[in-house]
Parts: sequence; structure tokens; C-alpha cells
Amino acid sequence: MMSTDPDIPLDLHDIQGNIIKAYNREDYVTARYVLYQVTDGAKGREFLAELLPYVTTAAPWSRESAVRAGNPKPPVTLNIAFTHQGLEALELPAASLLTFPQEFVSGMVKRREILGDDGKSAPEHWDPVWLKPVHLLLWLNGPGRPNEHVLDEYHGMLVELAKKFAPGVECLSGHRGEDGAERDYQSGSALYDEDGNITAKEHFGYSDGISNPFFKGTGANPNNVIGGGKVTRESPDTVEGWEPLETGEFLLGYKDEAFEYPEAPLPPLLARNGTYLVFRKLHENVGSFESYLDETSKHFEGGKEALAAKFVGRWRNGAPLATHPTEEEANGLAARWNQAYVSMKKAEADHDDGAYATASNVYADVRKELVAFDYDQDLAGGRCPVGAHVRRVNPRGGLEFGRSGAFASRGALTNRRRILRRGLPYGICRDRSRDDGEHGNIVMMLVASIRRQFEFVQQQWMNYGNDFKLGNDKDPLLGNHSDDPDGIDGRMTIESTPGSGKPPFLCAGIPRFVETRGGAYFFVPSMTALRMISKALVDPT
Amino acid sequence: MSNIAGKAFAMNLITPIERKQVKWNKVAFWLLTPSKPRNFLNWFTKRLGPRFDFAAKLNGLITLSMIHYARWVIVKPEEWPHLGTEQPREDPAYAYQLFFSNFNGSWAQYVDSFSAGIPEGLDGLWNKNVGWPTSVPQGPFHDYVRHNEVWTNYYYSAYPMAASNDIKSSKRLRNELLDFIDRSEKMGAKEFQREYHKLLSSLQGNPNPDFTAEEKFPCLGQMAPTPIVSLASVAVRRARVEIRSVEEVHDAE
Repeated sequence: MMSTDPDIPLDLHDIQGNIIKAYNREDYVTARYVLYQVTDGAKGREFLAELLPYVTTAAPWSRESAVRAGNPKPPVTLNIAFTHQGLEALELPAASLLTFPQEFVSGMVKRREILGDDGKSAPEHWDPVWLKPVHLLLWLNGPGRPNEHVLDEYHGMLVELAKKFAPGVECLSGHRGEDGAERDYQSGSALYDEDGNITAKEHFGYSDGISNPFFKGTGANPNNVIGGGKVTRESPDTVEGWEPLETGEFLLGYKDEAFEYPEAPLPPLLARNGTYLVFRKLHENVGSFESYLDETSKHFEGGKEALAAKFVGRWRNGAPLATHPTEEEANGLAARWNQAYVSMKKAEADHDDGAYATASNVYADVRKELVAFDYDQDLAGGRCPVGAHVRRVNPRGGLEFGRSGAFASRGALTNRRRILRRGLPYGICRDRSRDDGEHGNIVMMLVASIRRQFEFVQQQWMNYGNDFKLGNDKDPLLGNHSDDPDGIDGRMTIESTPGSGKPPFLCAGIPRFVETRGGAYFFVPSMTALRMISKALVDPT
Repeated sequence: MSNIAGKAFAMNLITPIERKQVKWNKVAFWLLTPSKPRNFLNWFTKRLGPRFDFAAKLNGLITLSMIHYARWVIVKPEEWPHLGTEQPREDPAYAYQLFFSNFNGSWAQYVDSFSAGIPEGLDGLWNKNVGWPTSVPQGPFHDYVRHNEVWTNYYYSAYPMAASNDIKSSKRLRNELLDFIDRSEKMGAKEFQREYHKLLSSLQGNPNPDFTAEEKFPCLGQMAPTPIVSLASVAVRRARVEIRSVEEVHDAE
């Protein structure tokens, strides 16, 4: 089998691009998500074969100044994933279909009670398309302003191509659009500030997607292990403080954190270099969020911004509370971060390789400050509350509760719950005093095990608090707080600094800020597997 | 019929051990039993080095904080119950180790926490059990547990909303409040406010290892029903409610 030594690179030409690349970081800041149903297996496979040459792989792109050298950036990226029903529709052999894990076979709708998709998040409120037989997801990412039309043109080509295979391959309609109309696709786009600059914000105003897992073999800058890898017992602001995660946590066919190959479908060639994609369309109730913050922060020392920061564990500008507890420090970091980003982009646009190298080093140094921390200096949560969003979804070394050496490794209970996050915001919030409208986040999560990684974090860490000794309290921002007056109250304890003599601040009556509007579980095969599926050459015997 | 009751999950394992191994494992269990004088244990283990530092190994277990009750018992071949003359006498080739645990969360969460968090401790507890694959990698370890698990046919919890942590925090909260009521009887308004704030900030918890267990435990979370551990067991619970309501209709008629 393949070695997973960190020095041995992955076969990036065989892996679909979005697994390794965060496209929005590469200036692909608009997206379309298109769903298909396959009623004729042969036609479905022909459609797939036609698409293959356009599928974007994880192979590194040459920067524009060196296009001659190899793999230029495509104008628009394309990637493909299948539901279990989709693989069945494409006539994958039964013996292979039976080897997929139970939660993937069941699909997201049937797992709703595990995921807490109840009340307004229940599937009957989802965009109608997600209740249809979804088989195939194609997603396209393209440039932002002023070149959004490029994505439109590519999408048009895709529509024409798909027509050749109808009937037999049908594009599914029923994505809710802004005017309430049912559309043939879901769109996504980064948000822009008043000056028309691209931001990393989502609709609540938080900078998103700062921290992503770092794993072996991707060829990424080894310094990015800081904050992205797994914690060691060394200091979190050094390279020694982190180790890359095993590849098998994010890609099938490689050793994982339990020293074995992940549970995977047969034959091995179908699985290797593939992974699972959890797709969620999450609506954001901006009106409820703003009014809760306004009302509650009247009594909170530090005011509205500080309360917003306590919910998430990061200031809305991205600075972590664990290392930047005051708004002044946070603003300083955010300003330096922005400056470094602008310089880097300018050097890139000027094709000035020397300046680019310098600027990207400065950028990497500032970025480090955003991610190089743990909670050992803040066990009680006086800076970052124990129940804050980022501390829940990635507790770093926090589950040892300061009892150093309790577990075989500091991150023993965390390292197998990490999630690669992709996706973009969708829609525009036109009235910040209202909850309705079409705006939220398209969240795409890539994991080797949907159950162990995504479902566990969703259920145990976001919709429950026992692992943090917080009883049934949920994630303040993403928890499925009940709107039933007899249900469990939406609560959060914002701990005070021990010894300060101040009481903790207790938030009660937190409404549900985020509602599920659609989603499904997909398998993202390797290029090899896509070819095998398209040619009906999958043989598990 | 379920291994789940409220927030608790029941797991019973019966695993064979070579007869000649019994006395050594008994010594190990005796050393691990917290009711033995801790001074002696500490004195003893410190001299043997970290590999035998049983107290440190229990540290991981305590930190997991998801177990209501767990017990390891070695059953010698002659100790199997013989209930009457109609039951034939048996002579098992092995002694057996019974492991009994009631914990919070799912089977996988529990088993994986042990395998990832305290693999050495686990290997020590199942030392020389027949077929023990070691606790890492996880696949063979999962298979071993499943193979030797005895299903729970009837399982009841009087406090279905209480996880082990809920019990710890509720007990502390009760004691602290009762104490505060006593202390605050004669306080003036200012003093009351200061002391009440102090109480609240103590109740928020502080996992600082220098604090005692009492001072550490957070008690401000709320207690409510468990998140769903298994879709199948939820379906069973619903079916039971339905059966009960049909029976009630019958009774009323």
C-alpha cells in the first residue's frame, strides 16, 4: 500500500481539487451547485464520461507569471460527487454498494434526529429540491466581480451538455431563490464590503474559514501545521507544538489517526483518494441575531462586539479571544492581517516574484497569530468561554481539562473529529432587522467518516454540552435552540476571569440563529474511480 | 430490549483468561482499587516508575468523566453458578474476566475514547486475556469488544436525564446553595451581592488542576433529555409509548 510518510506527496492529479484546495482562497469566490437525478444508468455514465476532462484535480496550479511551466488555473472549476442512491442509479454493483457505511446509505434526511434538524430545520422546511431523488452534485466555482459572467457561461455550457442525455439524466429544480422562485441551481458568493472588496465574512459579520486541518502529503507550506495540525505538548506558537494529522482522516486509502485504513467501500481502487462530502445549506436569522445581541449586550461589559466575540471565541474580525482578549488587540491584528493580504495580492497582480515571496511570508506570520493558540492558559474560559463555537468544534488540547498527561496525547479526543471546511455564503441580507430572505452559508465538509467526524461534532459538541461539562447547553450560534416554550432553553455561560470577583454572565432565551434549508451526504471519488464508474468497470470481487 | 436507558449505555464483556494468569491479574486489580489506602499505592507505584504508575492511569479515566459505574471481576472456573441438579456441571477451560460498565454517550464514543485516550491502561486491564488484540489500532479492538459483548435484555434508569457529569454538578450545586443559604441569613445587601457573585463565579467551574474536585466542577449547565444515541432505540421508545396508550384506551373501555 501507499506510504503516508509526510515527505511522500499524495497523487494530487488523482484527487478532486476542492478536497485539497479551498477555492475561495484562490479567487474563485462565486459558485453554482447543481443537482441531477439519473433514471437511465447508461446515459448517466455517458454524461459522467463527457464531464471527466473538465473535472478539477488537486494538482498545483502554476502562478500566472509561469503559465508555460504547467498547470494553469482553469477559468472555472468543476467537481463531482454522488449520493448512495446516485451510485445505485449509475449501476455500481450491489456488492460494492453494500460496503458503504450505514449513515451514507441512509442519507442526511433519515439522519435528521441525530443531526438535530427539527423545528424550522426539519426537512419539510427545506428547499424542495433536497427532498427529490438527489443522485449527483456538480459544483462550479468561478471568479468574482467584475467577471461573474464567466461562471454563468460555463454553467450555460453544462446545461447544454446535460441536455444531450435527457431523458435519463435530469437536472433537478427546486433550489429556493431570492424571489421565492424555484431554481435549477443553488448559487454562492463571497460577500463584498462597501468598497467592493471581497471579504471572508458570512452574514452575521464573522470572518469565516480561518482554521482548517493540516494533514500529511498535500505539499502545503509545512509552517501551516501551526494551528492546523494536532496539538503536541510543546508551545502552540511553535512548529514543535503541532504535528500534521494523518491523511486517512480526510482521504480514504491512507492510514488514519487510529493507525489503520479507514472504513471504505470495495474495491480499494474505488475508495482510494476519495472522501465524503457533507453538504448543508444553512439559513442565517440575521434579524434575531442582531436583536438578541443588541438587547443582551445592554447588560454586558464590553458591549455588543465583545458579546458577539464571546459567542464564537473569535472577534468578528477573526482575532481569537484566547490570545487577543481586548477589542483593541483584536483590531490591531485584523488591520495587520488585511494589510498583509493586500500587499500579497498586489505583488501577485504585478507579477513581482520577489515582492510576492516577501509579502506571502509576512502574510503567513500574521496568519499564524490567528491560529497559533490553545486553551491551556484559559482553562476556566475567562477569555474564550468553554461553550464558545470555536472551542466546541475544535477543542484543541482542551479535553484534558488541564490535567496534562491524562491521555496518551493531548488531542486524543479531538484528532479524530476534525473537519475540512469549504463552501461559501449565499444570498444577500437586505434588511438586518429581519430573519426572512435568502441568505446564509453553503457549508461543505470533507471527512473520511461522516459519522465519527461530522455527525459527532454536530450532535455531541454543537447540540449538546456534556463533553465540556456544560450539561445540555448548546453552541450559542449554531445550536438547534428550541422555539418551543416547553423545550430546553437556549443558554450560554460566559465565564468570568477567575479571581476577578465578577460573576459569570448568563445568556438565556437564545433563539435559533441558524436553520437548515437543505443538504445531503455525498461520496467524492478519485479521478480513477470516476473513470471506473463512467465505464462500468467497478468490480469488487 | 436495549443497551440504552436515558443518558446511560450498558456494556458487559466476558473474556477468557488463561487459568494460570488469574492470580497476577487479581494483584493488578487490587492495586487499582481506589478503596485501598492511597498512601501505600502512591508509595508503591512511584518506586516502580511511570509504567506502573496506576494512579496516573486512573487520571485518564477520571478525566473522561463519562462513566457512572464500572467493575472488573475475575470469575474462576469453579465460581460459575450451579443452580440445581438439573444443570450439568461444567469445567470451563478458562477463567473469565467480567467487565461491567454504565457510561454516557454512544458505544463508539466510549470505546474510541478509551482506545485513543488511555490505550496503555486498557492493555493493562485486559492483560493476557485470550485473543486481546491491543487497544490500537481500533478495527480489531472494536471486533474483540463486539465479539465478547453480552447483550442487555432489560435495562432501566430511574434518572434518564442524568449523565455522570449532571450528577456531579447537581450534587455540588445543592451543597453550595444550602451552604450559601445558611451563610447569607445575616448578610447585608452589599455583602450579599459580593458573596453571591463570588458563589456564581465559583459555580462556573475552573478546571485548574490546582483546585480540588469540589472547586472545579461547573454547575451552570442545564439538564435535559439526551441527544439521540441510536435511531433504532428511539423507534423502540416511540413504539412503547404507542403500545402503552393503546393499553390505556383498552383499560378505559
